[in-house]
Amino acid sequence: MDDRWNLLQNQPFSRLNARERAYAICNPESFTELLGPRLKLTSPHLPPMGQTPQFDDGVVVGLGTVGKAPAVVVSQESKFLGGGVGEAHGTKMVMAIRLALRGQEILESRSKSSESRGRVAVVISFDTGGVRLQEANAGLLAHSEVMDAFQAARGKVPIIGIVGGTVGCFGGMGFVAASVDVLIMSDVGRLGLTGPGVIEEVVGTEEFDAANRALVWRTTGGRHRFITRDADFIVEDTMKAFREKVAEVASWPIEKIASKRIIGTGEMVLEQMRLVDLAANDRIQDSWDLWRQFGNEDIEYLWDSNVSEFEANARRWPRGRVGDND
Amino acid sequence: MINFVGRGRDAIDYIVDEGSFEENLCGGETLDPEWAESAVVGSATLSGETVTVIANDAGIANPRFRMVYAGLMGLEEGFKMAHAVYLTIKADKDKPLAEKRPIILVVDTPGMSPGKVEEIIGIYKSTGAYQLASAEARRAGHPIVAMVVGRAISGGFLCHGLQADRILALSDEFGTMVHVMPLVGIARVTKINIMLLEELSEGNPVFASGVSHFYNLGGVDEIIESVADMRPRVKAQIDEIRRLKAAGEYDKVGPWSRLMSGIKRGGRKTSEKVIELMEEEFNLALSSWLGGEDDGFTP
Repeated sequence: MDDRWNLLQNQPFSRLNARERAYAICNPESFTELLGPRLKLTSPHLPPMGQTPQFDDGVVVGLGTVGKAPAVVVSQESKFLGGGVGEAHGTKMVMAIRLALRGQEILESRSKSSESRGRVAVVISFDTGGVRLQEANAGLLAHSEVMDAFQAARGKVPIIGIVGGTVGCFGGMGFVAASVDVLIMSDVGRLGLTGPGVIEEVVGTEEFDAANRALVWRTTGGRHRFITRDADFIVEDTMKAFREKVAEVASWPIEKIASKRIIGTGEMVLEQMRLVDLAANDRIQDSWDLWRQFGNEDIEYLWDSNVSEFEANARRWPRGRVGDND
Repeated sequence: MINFVGRGRDAIDYIVDEGSFEENLCGGETLDPEWAESAVVGSATLSGETVTVIANDAGIANPRFRMVYAGLMGLEEGFKMAHAVYLTIKADKDKPLAEKRPIILVVDTPGMSPGKVEEIIGIYKSTGAYQLASAEARRAGHPIVAMVVGRAISGGFLCHGLQADRILALSDEFGTMVHVMPLVGIARVTKINIMLLEELSEGNPVFASGVSHFYNLGGVDEIIESVADMRPRVKAQIDEIRRLKAAGEYDKVGPWSRLMSGIKRGGRKTSEKVIELMEEEFNLALSSWLGGEDDGFTP
């Protein structure tokens, strides 16, 4: 047996590094890294600025198997420049999705029946503040390339997102995470566009007190995102919990996976606009105001309960579409 | 010299047939004129052909969301723009490729609204929805041309501009600004000396502000030197996009084509290496990943 893999499964996901996460999200001994540290491809832009580059440019990309599906895995490393997306990092992400599509085309070209062929999935573990400022322009462009690749993958290759790292997912990567098919978060994970510190700095402490950790987590944390259905699942902060959920989702038919999307069609835009309406004219001041509107009465209990109790008892945004209240 | 910064709505008439813009008319539907008014959407003609126009008016605030002002785009604005794109796709659903109406983006935005309510609801969905809508329209055959007339900044540019087939930008003399963050901001956040950053930015387009840096990276397809050139160049780009799409060359328009231009222009050498090496490594790992031709994929 693969001892390293077994050891990692019981570790907190949030404490693992990007490579451990990529390795352990796949079936034992199935992960092969592409353009790994061995090739020493580093950012040439950082040394002149006095920054030490890293051999993977802060993102691990590779091929593996998740449950029964061949998978392309992307895992961001927040300990390197906050997981910021630079030129190489961004291009690695874009290529990962394009190569997943190519893998799927190869499978489809084979004569086997579609059942025995399997279907390629993309798994992305986000742990990033968005654009890496040292390479800001290239990082920005990479975001647009990733979004385009996502659209190209629609209906062909499912994209499963994970937010469970210590930085979470902010900046431009926030809307990339919103554009996946299925999003899995933990209590540790946070998802947003503008980070709390930036809101405080630009608008003021009265708008957002970034030092108030409870406020930060109930505004952008996994529980709130689960209530608004931006996150499809909330899991415990263990490697095993994430891996099992990813493997389960990857085994679904592609239509079921696509039904979990929150944006990406005209109908979903209209649906989201109804959620936006609830917040207009300063009607809500806090995420918990929204929780109450969805029928959650004992909010303190929900907040303090463990993940499975929370998942079982939380009343989520009704979303208004048939079949989405499961 | 004329300057369109903060005047996205005024710029529309310089790009489409003068006086042809009908606000809030989108693919045959009429939108509520009081809804997110700074997100200016509607229909116009260009050389007589119907086009969808999406612009941003920095002079109008949103009374329902106080963080939407001075051109900042909020929750409603992004969703309204996305809605306009989906109405456009729907209106031409049954038309042949050559008749899919163009979408013209008039770009002047300083970015997305930074606010607490925006985060609670999830403004990333609004920006994301608009990008996915644009990517879908582009892939469905609609020619999309972005004309940067003022500020094209960070997340604002990503959702309103960077999903276009082609991006044109007025040159720097028109006050055009293209960046993620000005150098002083980058220096402050990264704690890198501003003098060093200024010096490095002269030889490297990867982080500094400006239309020409984005041109070298491929992020701007064409720099426009005069206001009078906007209309004919937008039209010429639409024709070129149609020609490429008719030939099925979808990788020669949109974000991927700009990455390729950046490589050609020498601004994205690292990306070029990444693409080459990942292709190589993928091909080497392919048979152990998917199994051989005969045995199929067996987990």
